[in-house]
Amino acid sequence: MKQIILIAVIAGIAALLPLVIGDSPYFIGVLISVLMMAALSSAWNILGGYAGQYSFGHAAYFGSGAYTTMILISKFNFNPLVSMVAGIIVACIIALITGSIVFRLRGHYFGLASIAVAEIVRLSALNFDFTGGAQGILLTDVTLWGLDLNSKIPFYYGMLLVLVLTLGITLYLRTSKTGFYLQAIREDQDAAASLGINLSFYKNKALLISAALTSVLGSLYAVYIRFIDTSAVLDLRLSIEIILTAIIGGVGTLWGPVLGAVLLVPLAEILRSNVIGDALVKHGVVSETSGLGVFLKENLAHAHVLVYGIITVVCILYLPKGILGFFRRVK
Amino acid sequence: MIQHLLHINHVSKHFGGNVAVSDISFSVDEKQIFGLIGPNGAGKTTLFNCISGFYPVTSGDIIFDNKTINNLRPDEVCHLGMARTWQRVKPLGSLTVLENVMIGAFSITNTTREAEEIAMEQLQLVGLTDFSKKSAGSLSIGLKKKLELARVLATHPKMLLLDEICGGLNHTETDTILAIIRDVRNKGATIVFIEHDMKAVTAVCDWIVVLNSGEKLAEGTPEVITRNPDVIAAYLGGGHNA
Amino acid sequence: MFFLQSLLSGILTGGVYALAGIGMSLVFGVMNISNFAHGDLMMLGMYLAYFAFTLLHIDPYISLLLIIPTAFLFGFIVEKIFIHRIISHPHQNQILLTIGLGLIMSNTALLAFTSDPKILTTSYSSSAVHILGGISLSVPLLLSFTITCGITGILFLFLSKTTTGLALWATSQNREAAQLMGINVAKMSAIAFGLGTALAATAGALIAPTYYIHPMAGHTFLLKAFTICVLGGLGSVVGAGVGGIIIGIVESMSSTYLSSDWKDVVVFIIFLVVLLLRPQGLLGKKGEQ
Repeated sequence: MKQIILIAVIAGIAALLPLVIGDSPYFIGVLISVLMMAALSSAWNILGGYAGQYSFGHAAYFGSGAYTTMILISKFNFNPLVSMVAGIIVACIIALITGSIVFRLRGHYFGLASIAVAEIVRLSALNFDFTGGAQGILLTDVTLWGLDLNSKIPFYYGMLLVLVLTLGITLYLRTSKTGFYLQAIREDQDAAASLGINLSFYKNKALLISAALTSVLGSLYAVYIRFIDTSAVLDLRLSIEIILTAIIGGVGTLWGPVLGAVLLVPLAEILRSNVIGDALVKHGVVSETSGLGVFLKENLAHAHVLVYGIITVVCILYLPKGILGFFRRVK
Repeated sequence: MIQHLLHINHVSKHFGGNVAVSDISFSVDEKQIFGLIGPNGAGKTTLFNCISGFYPVTSGDIIFDNKTINNLRPDEVCHLGMARTWQRVKPLGSLTVLENVMIGAFSITNTTREAEEIAMEQLQLVGLTDFSKKSAGSLSIGLKKKLELARVLATHPKMLLLDEICGGLNHTETDTILAIIRDVRNKGATIVFIEHDMKAVTAVCDWIVVLNSGEKLAEGTPEVITRNPDVIAAYLGGGHNA
Repeated sequence: MFFLQSLLSGILTGGVYALAGIGMSLVFGVMNISNFAHGDLMMLGMYLAYFAFTLLHIDPYISLLLIIPTAFLFGFIVEKIFIHRIISHPHQNQILLTIGLGLIMSNTALLAFTSDPKILTTSYSSSAVHILGGISLSVPLLLSFTITCGITGILFLFLSKTTTGLALWATSQNREAAQLMGINVAKMSAIAFGLGTALAATAGALIAPTYYIHPMAGHTFLLKAFTICVLGGLGSVVGAGVGGIIIGIVESMSSTYLSSDWKDVVVFIIFLVVLLLRPQGLLGKKGEQ
């Protein structure tokens, strides 16, 4: 199968990258962000792209994985892997509650309900003491199998592993009965039902798989950054960013979300670190002390969300199937 | 004693104040080709939607293969052996013709390979083998209708509900479909047909029920029905062509 | 006494919520689009009121005379340029477009006005009226409620007595039928979106004296507006009005009897409960569940 080889090749290249880049925590960090967003969007894609159910509250699963892991490790000294599994269970419970309320309905309620659930989770984490409230949770000490968890490298490979796993699951689903059924649901729910497809069951199945994978990423993130709070792991902005990444790359394709992440994460980083502004100044295009120069220096860093918004609008209007979707059609 | 495969027992369907179907009763026997005709708005598709589980009935019972199926979901009805097509075709547009039919086949198997085999059989039956890799959305209407037929046949149903399967087809295409239907019946399936094309209906049906304004107007063999003055009046009066 | 106080405050706040909900419901009814930028449109109204007050020294309630037509025009133009193009696209893409537009709005505001919250204090911002011995009703809330009633009344007259209004109403009931009867549904969409924007901006302007004004202020209201619409019944303008008052009361009661930290959670839980028990809402549009 062509795609399996492609995954293996790209995974292989990615695995070797840290050795090539050498000791540069900054770049490894950016790559980790790329891998994480690629995995998050790919996991979302299983439900959104293949089953056609757009969740606007996926941060709930990321955050529940992160918080469960953090709480179990920092307060109860659990093993990180066990905490991760616990996180998956919590995420799945939330997913089942959401799914059982909404998937029996026709119409476009899933998106709204997913936001409501995500906000309930976020506000709960914000208001309860055991989740650290507005202060969040800090992790001082964590060990696993003697790995040096102060280095970024284990997390690089951890994220890569989850990405490969997600792509693998997507590929498997695509050629299995479940995958066919999900796509039928996406295309025409009535037709799907009339052909013997239990809509609720399969939508829930896709949601559970997606939620579990997202939760694992949240757990990884928590131990990687060692600090979480609601704005980092439960914010609506994260949910939206996940969707935009998938949309721009190409919803419902295997590599679309990955492409989206490869394009958007570095772009955000470039904007955030003011590389463009610095470059303009260095080449004398803009004077550092002029109004424009000062404006750029202070604000370009905050502009990446604005750029996301513009890209989204342009994408929906002109490239509704994303970049990969566009090329597929032309083929 | 002939077993009724499908028994419609005083079924009514109201939408708020609007009575779409009123106190309809009839029975369909195994291996019958059964016609359900009537002018536009007579309630035929509504009845189909009730039978196949898309609408709950307001009153009455629907008994299929000795089981009461009133409150079942559409997918449950399909698993009991009843499959339906749609008046406005519903191809799964982004999937290929083969994949569309495989979806039907998956209702009776779990493996992709078997589903593909069953699907190829049905494509051969309806004559769509050459189109198997084409996207379903790109087909002409005649071919889309054939695809719908192939897709439901892949579920190996005991009973087929066909909603205007000949709609929009020319004479040659209609004859092909009718031949397939006779073939399917001969292999053991029962068929209930909504159709406007009177020629098609009289050519192939064993028994016909006529609906008008939600009520049963008449029932009988094609010969009897085509000579029934009330039926003729309903069609002409309702302003509809044959 | 707490109960009555809570109830009355809730009704007054609910009025403004109702305005936001009605705007969203109108857009949903006529165009079948969930407008995720609705909250950001409210935010724009807040800033318009703020600048009218600080730069032009116009009282926020009077500035409505400026804000309403400006916002209507803005919404009308946005519909013609952006929304119009995707009216027959899949629902999810429509939502994403409005999300994108919302992001552009809120982040432009962020760049232009910074995230420092602005406060609009009028001479009567903290005044209160005392009634029934012990109940204190905030003057700004009373004023906004009165204005809301007025605007809702005018809207109702518009929808039921004018040709354009009736055409709009017809389109929201059944777009296809309206088109067949010769109504220019494209124009109706633009008008509906313009009205929806104007109502959102008005709601924003009305609460500006009592809330922190910042670029992300719209986001809380977005989900509340959706809750109101679903509670009242998607597409039902009257339902949204009723829903708004109910949510206002629920919020106020939750604030009093639970804590203000949890009031939003209660609203969102209600949203889920409505979906669970009565998805068509109180006065739901028939057809779609």
